[in-house]
Amino acid sequence: MIIIGERINGMFKDIARAINDRDPGPVHEWAKKQEYNGAHYLDINVGPSSTEPVEAMKWLVEVTQEASDLPLALDSTKYDAIEAGLKLCKQPAMINSVPAEMPKMERVFAMAAEHGAEVIGLAMNEEGIPKDADMRVGLAAELVATADAFGIAPDMLYIDPLVLPCNVAQDHGPEVMRTLREIKMISDPAPKTTVGLSNISQGTKNRELINRTFAVMAMANGLDSAIADACDDELMAAVASARIILDMDIYCDSFVEVFKQRNR
Amino acid sequence: MAVEIFKEKYRGKVGEVVLGATKDDGGTRSHTITVGGETALPFLHFEGEIPNRPVVALEVWDMVPEWNPCLEQYYGDVYNDPGAWAKKCVDEYGADLIQVRLKGADPDLNDHSPEDCAATVKKVLEAVSVPVMVIGSGKAEKDNTIYNPIAEAAAGENLVMGVAELENYKAVTSACMANNHVVIAQSPIDINICKQLNILIAEMSPAMSSRIIIDPTVAALGYGIEYSYSIMERARNGALQGDKMLAMPMYGNAGFESWRQKEANISEEEQPGWGEQEERGILWEATTAMAYLQSGIDILVMRHPEALKVIKGNIDELMKDNSY
Amino acid sequence: MGLTGLEIYKHLPKTNCKECGSPTCLAFAMALASGKASLEDCPYVSDEAKEALDSAAAPPIKLVSVGTGDHVVKLGEETEIFRHDKRFFHPTGVAVIISDTEDVAAKAEKFDDLEFDRVGMHYVTDMVAVKCDSGDAGKFKEAVETVAGITQKAMILMTEDPGVMEGALEAVADRKPLVCAATGDNFEKMTELAKGKECPMVVKGNDINDLAELVEKVVGLGHKELVIDSGARETSQVLADLTQFRRLAVRKKFRSFGYPAFAITTKDDPKEEIVQAGVYVSKYADVVALKACEKQQLLPLLSWRQNLYTDPQKPIAVEAGLYDVGEPGDDAPVYVTTNFSLTYFIVEGEVESSRIPSRILSVDTGGVSVLTAYADNKFSAETIAEAIKKCGLEDKVNHKKLVLPGHVAVLKGTLEEESGWEVMVGPREASGITKYAKDNFAGGVK
Repeated sequence: MIIIGERINGMFKDIARAINDRDPGPVHEWAKKQEYNGAHYLDINVGPSSTEPVEAMKWLVEVTQEASDLPLALDSTKYDAIEAGLKLCKQPAMINSVPAEMPKMERVFAMAAEHGAEVIGLAMNEEGIPKDADMRVGLAAELVATADAFGIAPDMLYIDPLVLPCNVAQDHGPEVMRTLREIKMISDPAPKTTVGLSNISQGTKNRELINRTFAVMAMANGLDSAIADACDDELMAAVASARIILDMDIYCDSFVEVFKQRNR
Repeated sequence: MAVEIFKEKYRGKVGEVVLGATKDDGGTRSHTITVGGETALPFLHFEGEIPNRPVVALEVWDMVPEWNPCLEQYYGDVYNDPGAWAKKCVDEYGADLIQVRLKGADPDLNDHSPEDCAATVKKVLEAVSVPVMVIGSGKAEKDNTIYNPIAEAAAGENLVMGVAELENYKAVTSACMANNHVVIAQSPIDINICKQLNILIAEMSPAMSSRIIIDPTVAALGYGIEYSYSIMERARNGALQGDKMLAMPMYGNAGFESWRQKEANISEEEQPGWGEQEERGILWEATTAMAYLQSGIDILVMRHPEALKVIKGNIDELMKDNSY
Repeated sequence: MGLTGLEIYKHLPKTNCKECGSPTCLAFAMALASGKASLEDCPYVSDEAKEALDSAAAPPIKLVSVGTGDHVVKLGEETEIFRHDKRFFHPTGVAVIISDTEDVAAKAEKFDDLEFDRVGMHYVTDMVAVKCDSGDAGKFKEAVETVAGITQKAMILMTEDPGVMEGALEAVADRKPLVCAATGDNFEKMTELAKGKECPMVVKGNDINDLAELVEKVVGLGHKELVIDSGARETSQVLADLTQFRRLAVRKKFRSFGYPAFAITTKDDPKEEIVQAGVYVSKYADVVALKACEKQQLLPLLSWRQNLYTDPQKPIAVEAGLYDVGEPGDDAPVYVTTNFSLTYFIVEGEVESSRIPSRILSVDTGGVSVLTAYADNKFSAETIAEAIKKCGLEDKVNHKKLVLPGHVAVLKGTLEEESGWEVMVGPREASGITKYAKDNFAGGVK
């Protein structure tokens, strides 16, 4: 599974302060730490309260790239910020994210095509997040078909079925699992899938346990990647085990280490 | 109509390993051999690079082998002289390299001393200028005593030495590490052990990770070859998909495995339904080797000079570009 | 795998009329892809779309049969690129070529005898290709008739001249031979002949692009029992083309290559030819035609074919029973193991390298290994005792001792009771056998 490290996000106090003070220290530290622990991409988010998202994104992209060669996932609802960040990325990046809504898809897919970027597509539209799997899959298919019209191959897309906390929307769980399975029937090659892993455990007790249980269940249903805490060792070990059980990696006794060290 | 050619997109590559060393690098070989480096499945030049052709070795023993009598006419005159034997393999039969099997070190056979073994290897190195591989008697306890003297005596030559096994890899690996030789990592037809052993060797010294040759333990035609075939295909696919701990060149002894089997040896008188013995043996060996090549082998060890010739011809054909 | 949502969507009207019950055509396509709806629910789908969707759902490679009765050879319907992903299904047809300019009867007799028994299996060289080198229609027809009179095996008729093909095909049409071959120059006439006699036909291009075009033309003429040949003859190019056929058919459902593939050797030296044919058997040829016709040449090739087409998910068994290693006397040791082939061969190799002539009793465990069989009760005191009786071990040795794998040492007591034989506990792994034998049996069993 592809791990998109979640930690460089203005939602976290240390990163918010770093952005505000233009202090590269914490950003460098988290970039290196997540890479060391096996992240494959680094998510970059200036945070909800940023007053100058474009400038902040540009700074964050440059500073992160000083510490790590991993590809970046530019995470913002402000497409100007994403576009400014894309121009600075040293290697093809990921855009996080676009819903299945028309003017937004046009804007995002056009810039993705221009920069060779991958795109996280959200299975939601103006009407919000559908409850049942059929509607979610329908929206995913629209994302794939629209991307196709922009010359973007389906496997450049990561569809996020959208996960709600399990304590408030328990009935969504099975629908998310079914959505993950059926997304693979949209096209050949199929689009990839992703989730914001920690959403499942918002407001619950024992969040790490719920996160990693959800991760391995979702993998069994076809999940390809997650925006997650790469520094959660138990999570990474569970993911490494699931990859073995699903025959995605060839087993050896040191399978956890091998999974985490793949980028080193 | 232009067909849209199907090419796999791989992100991995098989590592390249150099065998032997010339004077410039502290050895005495006239040339080195590089194996590995593939970025495509065997001989699919259209989808990637096959920078180095698979190479073919012949085997030299330090004692008279009990081989099929049909091999006497080729080797009978040199069975007693490893140097002359090696020279004949290279000069007359066209071996790319020599594998010395120190069978005579076996305590139950000739119990050659570590010094005898090192002397045999030296003799072969003096007789030929191609890179040399050396493997022990197969008795781990004894073999662990011969690796160091050999590795030291041939320091600088960049030998290929083996075999390291999961239960017994440290002695041979240390000998290789200290004297800059390449190690053969052998696993018993088991891809999981294959990978783990590579990890353990690389843990001893990261530099060794680019000096490992995988011996997946090959089986002969008719005797489980399909297991080896699939394991080699899986290992090579793993390597190309980025599994670095499987991304080493592979090695297998088609000659040894084939000539253990009834189909190579039994006379036509005893088994009239199977046809003439020598040609049958040659083809049992060559067909075994052909299958290894199709599943990704980089170093083949052969026995019958005719089988070697046929297989080298097959490799020539397969190395021709087939890109579209 | 069935069709994907987008593939289906391409054939739908894209009007979003909602009459099918889905909110959009795309949603309906997804419902079809996951099997929750039927095409019948769409009132506006065209007949062309229906046919396109039907044919796309067909197996990626067509099954084509050559020959009749017990000698029919089934080709194609493969679904895998690698045997370890599932298995290969229909073994490559191996055809021996007989030229109409050689002694046809003699070679046909020899061909018909190319059958082998080894390790409890029967291998058959299953096809014969009669080739017109004379350019003479009468001579070719005579050769074809001669071969047909000598062997019942599936036939291939090789000439690119429809005038020469016609008479020969007429003579043996009821044997359903493979007509070989239609080319860019002759395909209209050749297709008419093959289709008229309902015989399968090889379509041969100048390269893979040309072949794809030619296949479409032949299919357009209404013949679909086809075998494809890119026309390449260099080993390396043939390997590439055969790989493209298989990948494009299986992964991309490219219909023009959705047929069994034909390969022919070019080497004159029989040893080189067998190895060349081996490459094609390994990588995706469904028929290989070659000239070699000696037993010692075909046995290795057919053995490889047999090995490659085994089911990797199914354990391979050796015949249960008593095996000799070397020339064992009546004081030779007896080792007990299962009939899982890999286990058996490893044990056999180790026993052999002990250089002490011995016997191995291979117990029928349904082809599974020692520990699996033990857990399943297939390798138990009862089954081993029964195997001892069945093979008449008592009459073959002058002692009553046998060596049991160390992993099942726990069976010692019950097996001794059950069989009356003394049980020696051997090493846990086969790799320990050589030493064990030296330590215990250096002077025979005492």
